[in-house]
Amino acid sequence: MIPKYLTSVKKVDNEEKMAGLALFTDDIQVEGAYFAVTLRSEKAHAKILDIKVPTLPKDYYFISAKDIPGENVCNIIVDDWPVFADKETNYIGESIGLVVGPDKEKCLDLLNEFEVTYEELEPVFEMKDSYVHKEFTKGNVDLFKSSAKVFSESFETGYQEQAYLEPQGMLVYFDKDDGRLTVKASMQCPFYIHKAIMRVLNWPEEKIKVIQPAVGGAFGGKEHYPSLMGAQLATAINKIHHPIKMIFDRKEDVPFTTKRHPSKTDISAYLDDKNNLIGLKIHVNIDGGAYIGCSMVVLSRALIAATNTYTFENVEIIGDAYHTNKVPSAAFRGFGSPQSIFAMELFINHLADYLGVDRFVFKNKYHVKTGDVTSTSGIFRDEIVLDKIIEKAKKMSDFDRKFKEYSKPNSNRGIGISTFLHGCGFTGSGESTIINAQLKIKKDKNDIVTFYTSQVDFGQGNRTTLKRIVVDTLGIPEDHVIYDAPDTSKTLSTGPTAASRTIIIVGGLAAKAAQHLKDIWVSGKEQEIVEPYVGPSYIKWDEDKMQGDAYPGYAWGANVVEVSFDPVTYQVKVEHTWSVYDVGHAIDERIVIGQADGGLAQALGWSYLEKEEAVDGRFMQKKFSDYIVPTSMDLPEMETALIDNPFKYGAFGAKGAGELTFVGGAPAFALAFEQAIKKPVHKIPLTPELIMELVKDED
Amino acid sequence: MIKYFVPKSLKEATEILSQNDCYILAGGTDLMVQKHRSASLLPTFEKDVLFTNEIKELDYIKVDKEGVHVGSVTKYEKMLKSAQIPDIFRKTIEQIASPGIRNMATMAGNIGNASPAGDTLVPLNVFDAYLVLSSTRGERKVLVSDYIIGVRKTIREKDEIIKEIVIPNLDLEFDYEKVGSRKAESISKVSFLGAYKLEGNIIKDFRVAFGSVSIKVVRDKEVEKKYIGLTKEEFINRKEEIVSDYSKLISPITDHRSTKEYRQKVACNLLSRFIDNIK
Amino acid sequence: MKINFVLNHKPIELDVNPTRRLLDVLREDLHLTGTKEGCGEGECGACTVLVDDKPYNSCLTPVLNVQDKEVLTIEGFREMKEYRIIADAFADMGGSQCGFCTPGMILVSYALLKNNPHPTDEEIRFALSGNICRCTGYQAIVNAVKVASEKGVKL
Repeated sequence: MIPKYLTSVKKVDNEEKMAGLALFTDDIQVEGAYFAVTLRSEKAHAKILDIKVPTLPKDYYFISAKDIPGENVCNIIVDDWPVFADKETNYIGESIGLVVGPDKEKCLDLLNEFEVTYEELEPVFEMKDSYVHKEFTKGNVDLFKSSAKVFSESFETGYQEQAYLEPQGMLVYFDKDDGRLTVKASMQCPFYIHKAIMRVLNWPEEKIKVIQPAVGGAFGGKEHYPSLMGAQLATAINKIHHPIKMIFDRKEDVPFTTKRHPSKTDISAYLDDKNNLIGLKIHVNIDGGAYIGCSMVVLSRALIAATNTYTFENVEIIGDAYHTNKVPSAAFRGFGSPQSIFAMELFINHLADYLGVDRFVFKNKYHVKTGDVTSTSGIFRDEIVLDKIIEKAKKMSDFDRKFKEYSKPNSNRGIGISTFLHGCGFTGSGESTIINAQLKIKKDKNDIVTFYTSQVDFGQGNRTTLKRIVVDTLGIPEDHVIYDAPDTSKTLSTGPTAASRTIIIVGGLAAKAAQHLKDIWVSGKEQEIVEPYVGPSYIKWDEDKMQGDAYPGYAWGANVVEVSFDPVTYQVKVEHTWSVYDVGHAIDERIVIGQADGGLAQALGWSYLEKEEAVDGRFMQKKFSDYIVPTSMDLPEMETALIDNPFKYGAFGAKGAGELTFVGGAPAFALAFEQAIKKPVHKIPLTPELIMELVKDED
Repeated sequence: MIKYFVPKSLKEATEILSQNDCYILAGGTDLMVQKHRSASLLPTFEKDVLFTNEIKELDYIKVDKEGVHVGSVTKYEKMLKSAQIPDIFRKTIEQIASPGIRNMATMAGNIGNASPAGDTLVPLNVFDAYLVLSSTRGERKVLVSDYIIGVRKTIREKDEIIKEIVIPNLDLEFDYEKVGSRKAESISKVSFLGAYKLEGNIIKDFRVAFGSVSIKVVRDKEVEKKYIGLTKEEFINRKEEIVSDYSKLISPITDHRSTKEYRQKVACNLLSRFIDNIK
Repeated sequence: MKINFVLNHKPIELDVNPTRRLLDVLREDLHLTGTKEGCGEGECGACTVLVDDKPYNSCLTPVLNVQDKEVLTIEGFREMKEYRIIADAFADMGGSQCGFCTPGMILVSYALLKNNPHPTDEEIRFALSGNICRCTGYQAIVNAVKVASEKGVKL
């Protein structure tokens, strides 16, 4: 069925992207730019005793930690990731230095001539050395001691590669007009790069500018890694004063840039002698890799989301992020919550089976209702319409009939439904204490309005929607508003493009700023407003204790996935999906549905196709021919519906939509698959090789 | 200094090859990956390259009493669209890589590349297809199964070029299955082709080949002979023995795409299902 | 080596190493950067161009292999009337998000519709199967091809 998008407007970047006019980083021509290639560690954990640099011809340079004028630290959240490995290396592929010069081939030839002497140290590949630990409780967990029975399960999820279509790339040069060190890169967060460069060069803010060109997908994968590249290239250009371009080949991007955290989640249900549920203990473990990076925040989100769409009276939640000698794990759509929600969605169904009660009746008993206390003892304040969402998803998919039919033996077919939520914006009071977004909007004498944000549109359509918020608030023609891609020399920081915060937080800020401008509007006069973010007063959050209201609002959804299974080849086929989301009021339905289908597609890939395996710290799947993302023939027809439920505190009633759409795909898939094979699932990706093991004892 | 040759005829090509040791490059879909170094750099060919692109006389599909003759520069896409190509070949080709690659690649290239996962090698083996190799010394015919002797190893002499592939006529019932990592653009983990002919109740012909489970396609005519001539019931009753015979012949490996256990088991399952489906 | 072909409807002669990738010739020598490199091994389709109306992965095409052929890139196609129909359909259906796969997707859609003006969903998915999109989940692109098919009977 061809959809009709009545609420949508023309995407501002459509034409340039379709016509091939949009300039992505590698499309930008800078006369005579040098190339940079990376010398990478061959060892998972070792002391670097010596780097034997080959004789470098004229105009060729080796850039390493020695060339850093400031600190050898790539600031992410914790200062543990060095810009260049110096005395020690902690993962295979870690950058030791750059070879920079006019001819790329020569740079690569030189790279082969380096000899690095290592003293190998014991590497750690398993999750055993916790470097971030968190725990909190709700209700009375002492009651667990009085339980008569405990039902426990453990769930595992794997690495996932973002697989944005445009690989990582960056260009640095000194702008002839203002003399600033200028960075153009495939990125998510211009100010993160800006700050990383200030730190490594020990430079003031105004000597640097970061400008966003067209970005070919990111999904979290360009939230932090470009900061590392920026710090490295800044070090290089500071030394050689010549423009430099560094574009990764896919075979460099896949094995050496950040991934989704693999996880292992243990859940125990404590039951009394009448099988009443006393409470749950949930322990989420994530593999953070060699450096903490943002793992503590990923862990926080995983823990806060761990009870998913259910309210339990008594809960103990524990989390650990582990140091291992592997590529650091970092941001990826969902940011920890897909891992813990996968575990909880399967667990609650398995628990119902264990108790011998109807799954849907059991889940419904615990479904979150408005006013319920969250796992962190905050309050669910939004109007929650979970029952409507479920009802609609079931109706669209003819769920009840199919569920009954596929329950029969040897059906080799299954249908599964998941419910899920996603907290929008930075965790807790982060928006008002860490981010402190400020948005500048100004009007010239001709009443042309210009506004700035640091939000990157890497495909989500926020350039279109943010502009629309301002246009509609001011009530002026679209071509009277100018809104360009971020440039850190022009915009104040409105924060990173992450955490599903762009529309709910920055959109809200833009609407407020535009309204204030409208309030003081004097035609023919230059006017300017700087609007600071003010969080809702109800948000109180204690990060140390993990107590309080974790998010200003939550978006909700249900996914239904239908699969078939071939018992001869152990392959699964996704037959159809149906999804229903409550993202508040969808300002632009086409854009939201685009997010919805794309998020679910990635989640399905994570569920059964996308395997990334590290053996002795080295990724086995290094290219697009080994790392298997879904093609158009692997994905089914997707039907998606939205429930309009305007959110009081969001711009035009909108909540976040970007990450929500990833969160429920894996559990819905796994539940469908369980029905097809009549066995419980505890691990993804469900590759045919794993499935063979699962069904083995039946043969 | 690497030399590049672009002959316009087979004769010219064989003359070049009699003087020069060359990579023979047709569509380029294998060689351009293998020799790729990095974006914007030239591929790293370490010896001379002969392009077959201009040898238009070898772009043909012809049928005669020997079978179907496919000229070596014929693209997959042309084979897919040709009613003269046996259906089972079209079914195989349809599942190779992607539309773009099929527009560029050739079956001769698939043979020349001699990968254990080369998809057309499986039906070529079952059909006893052969190559005509051409050189200034003349022509010779070689069974595809004899031509490939190992991973990326063939018996091609340096002065030879594949002129055509001949697919003999074969009127059997077929069951082809490619098991890859996804539904398109996938490299086989296991591929299987089973074929049989029933006359009355007698198995008059029986052939089986597996891809990706050994260094070359696995087919064993001795094993096939053992079961030809049985009645259908006898044949089906000996399913376990047949599966066991083949299970011993294959020797898959574990790599970044799959495991030896999976390949072994699925190969046997596919054979089993093939036997179950004999009507 | 001198290589002649028709590029975006105009004859062109290049003096170039014949093994050089068509992709590099387009992007670097001719500054036609609408053709993208996503993987360099023929898996992602971002480098798709049409050669005699058929999709080719330009990252695997030695430039010699387009000798005497007609090459169409997005820069040429965007000047054609069929482009407008397909581009509008992509816009209407939300077929382009990050935009990196989009030029390739649009060219593949054109090649399909030219051959098969009214494809089924399955035929569309089959035709797109060499072009990876990581943003849309393909549904919006399949919808776009269908809309273009309805509007562009004369494609």
